[in-house]
Amino acid sequence: MVSQKITITNPQGLHMRPAGVFAKGMAAFASDIKINFNGKETNGKSLLNIIGAGIKCGSEIELVCDGPDEEEALKTAIEMIESGLGE
Amino acid sequence: MYKGIGASAGIGIGSVIIVKEPSLDYEKKPVTDTAAETARFQSALDECVAKTTAMAEDMKTRVGEKEAEILEGHILLLMDPELTGQIESKIKDEKSCAEAAVEETCDFYAAMFASLDDELFQQRATDVCDIKTRLIKILLGVEDVDLANVPEGTILVAEDLTPSMTAGINPANVVGILTEIGGKTSHSAILARALEIPAVLSIEGIVSKLENGQSVVLDGKTGEVYADPDADVLEEYKAKRAAFLEAKAALKLFVGKPTETADGVKVQLCANIGKAEDATKVIECDGEGIGLFRTEFLFMDRPQVPTEDEQFEAYKKVAQLLEGKPVIIRTLDIGGDKEIPYLGLGKEENPFLGFRAVRLCLQRPDLYRPQLRALLRASAFGDIMIMVPMICCVDEFRQVKALITELMADLDANGIPYNKDIKVGIMVETPAASVMADVFAKEVDFFSIGTNDLTGYTMAADRGNPDVAYLYSTYDPAVLRSIRNVITAANDAGILVGMCGEAAADPLLTPLLISFGLEEFSVSATSILKTRKGISSWTKAEADEVAAKAMAMATEKEIRAYLESIAR
Repeated sequence: MVSQKITITNPQGLHMRPAGVFAKGMAAFASDIKINFNGKETNGKSLLNIIGAGIKCGSEIELVCDGPDEEEALKTAIEMIESGLGE
Repeated sequence: MYKGIGASAGIGIGSVIIVKEPSLDYEKKPVTDTAAETARFQSALDECVAKTTAMAEDMKTRVGEKEAEILEGHILLLMDPELTGQIESKIKDEKSCAEAAVEETCDFYAAMFASLDDELFQQRATDVCDIKTRLIKILLGVEDVDLANVPEGTILVAEDLTPSMTAGINPANVVGILTEIGGKTSHSAILARALEIPAVLSIEGIVSKLENGQSVVLDGKTGEVYADPDADVLEEYKAKRAAFLEAKAALKLFVGKPTETADGVKVQLCANIGKAEDATKVIECDGEGIGLFRTEFLFMDRPQVPTEDEQFEAYKKVAQLLEGKPVIIRTLDIGGDKEIPYLGLGKEENPFLGFRAVRLCLQRPDLYRPQLRALLRASAFGDIMIMVPMICCVDEFRQVKALITELMADLDANGIPYNKDIKVGIMVETPAASVMADVFAKEVDFFSIGTNDLTGYTMAADRGNPDVAYLYSTYDPAVLRSIRNVITAANDAGILVGMCGEAAADPLLTPLLISFGLEEFSVSATSILKTRKGISSWTKAEADEVAAKAMAMATEKEIRAYLESIAR
C-alpha cells in the first residue's frame, strides 16, 4: 500500500468534469484507489463518490493505492491532479 | 398577467403544449430470478448509455460543445462502478426489482449531493435524478415526450426542461418556453438562448394555470406572459415581435462585414474577455481580435499563484483560438479592491490610490516575472501584445521593458521561441498618463484607453457613492478632452490607439471617437454587432461636425443632451 497527500487546485474543486477525468483514469488500474478527505474514505474510481465527497479548491486529500500496480497508479493519480485534470 | 424571469430575449406568440413527464409508477415486488433481473437492468443501462451518447452528439452539432457537456457527464455517471454495483447488489441481495433498485440508489446519491454546501455540487443532484428517470423509463418501456414533432407555433410549458427533453426541441416549431423553475443561468435558459427561443422561467404554478391549446404571448426580456391576450395586447406583442426580429436581422447583416464608417474609414472592432474560454464566444460574435484579456481570473479563486506553465497554456490557448488576429493581454491588475488572499496584501486606507497593478507587480518580481515569461512564450503562437495597466510615469514603463528584455535574453539562452517584435503598450487610465500621452507615445507601442478608471480618476469621484456619482460621467468635457488628447498623441506618433472601457460600446460616444481618430474599439462580445452597426451609421465628416459642436460645450449636461438628441 502506498499513499501521498496532495492539494486540489481546480478552481471549482472536484466537480463533474475533473472528477470524471480522474475516475476514468483510475479505472485503468487493478489496484484499489481510495481518497481520504475530511475523515471519510472515498472510492477513487467512482465519479459519484468523488463528487459526493465535495472536495473544493484548496482541499488537501490523501490518495491511497493498494494492489499489484499501486506505485504506477499513485504516480499517475498525482500527475493527473497536478496537471489540473483537464481544466 | 404572469411574471417570471426573462431568460432568453424575444417575443413568443403561440399556443400552449404542456409537457408532462409520463407516470413512472411501477409495482414494487420482490423478484425470484435475480440473474434475469440483473440482465434486464444491464440491457436497460446499455440502451440508456447509447441513447444519451446519441443525444450528446446531437446537442453538440445543433447547439454547442458546452451544452453537450452535461449529457457527457451523464454518460460517465451511468458507467460509474459504484452506481451500477449498488443497483446490482440491491437486486441480488435484497431481491429488489430493477426499477426499485435504480430509484433507491439514485435517490441516495441525489440526497447526498443535495446536502453539500456548494451550489455547483448541489446541481449534480438534478443530473442524478435525470438519469434515474431515463433508466426507469427504459425499464418500463415508457416513451420519452417527443418534442421534435410538436406543431409550428408551439409554446412549451413545463415544470422544468430536463436536458433529455431539450435535446429534442426543434426551434422551427417552438416559439416560446415557460417553466416553473430555473433562472438566467440554468440549463434551460442557456439552451433557449443558444436556440434563440424566447423563454420566461420561474413562473410559479404555470403548468396548472395554463391548458393545452390556450393562446399565450410572452416577452423573454421583461418576463411578462399573457394568457388569452385580448386584441390590444395581441397587436402590441405582434408589433414588438416584428421590431425585435427586424433589429435582430439588421444586426445579422453586419456579420462578416468590415467595421467602417459610412464613408469607408476602417477601424478595428475587438472584444474584452476575462477567461481563455471566452475567446470562443468572441469568434462566434464575429470579433476581429481581443482588445483586453483580463488576467486576474487566472489568479482568483485558488490557493496559490498559477505557475508560469499554467499561465502559458491559457495565453497560448487564446492566441491559437484567434488564429493570428491581435490579442492584447493585460498584465495582472490586482490590489485596490480586488483581493487575493494568498498574496497576503495588507488593507490600505485608499486602495484606488494605493498599491495596485503595475506598482505591485514591479515590487513583486516573483509574481510578475512568471507572467511576463509566460506571455513571451505564448507570443510564438499568435499575435499577442502585452498591455501594462495603471501606468503613471515613464519610469514604470521603462522598468517593465527592462524586465521583458532580460526575460527575452533568458529565453534566447534556452532556445525557447517567442515573438521578438512583440508589442508592449500601456493602458491609459490615469490623468498622469493622459497628460503625458505625447511623451509616452514615443516609448510605447500602443495605447488602450481604460475609460472606467480614467473617468473616476479624472473626476475624482467614486461611481459607487451616491452622493458623488453624478460627477462620474465619461460625457464630462474634462474626460472627453483627456480622451481626445490621448488619441491625438497616438495618431501624431503613428502608434495604435484603442479603447477598452465601457465608453467604446456607448452609441452616444461613437461619433466623437470616430472624429478623434480612435483606431480600435474593444467591447463585450455581445456588443460587437451593435457597435459595428453604430460605427457604420456615421460618415467621418458628420462625426467631425458632432465632435466640433460637443467639444465647444462647457458642461456634462449640455454634451449629454446634445449627443442624445442626435443619437443614431
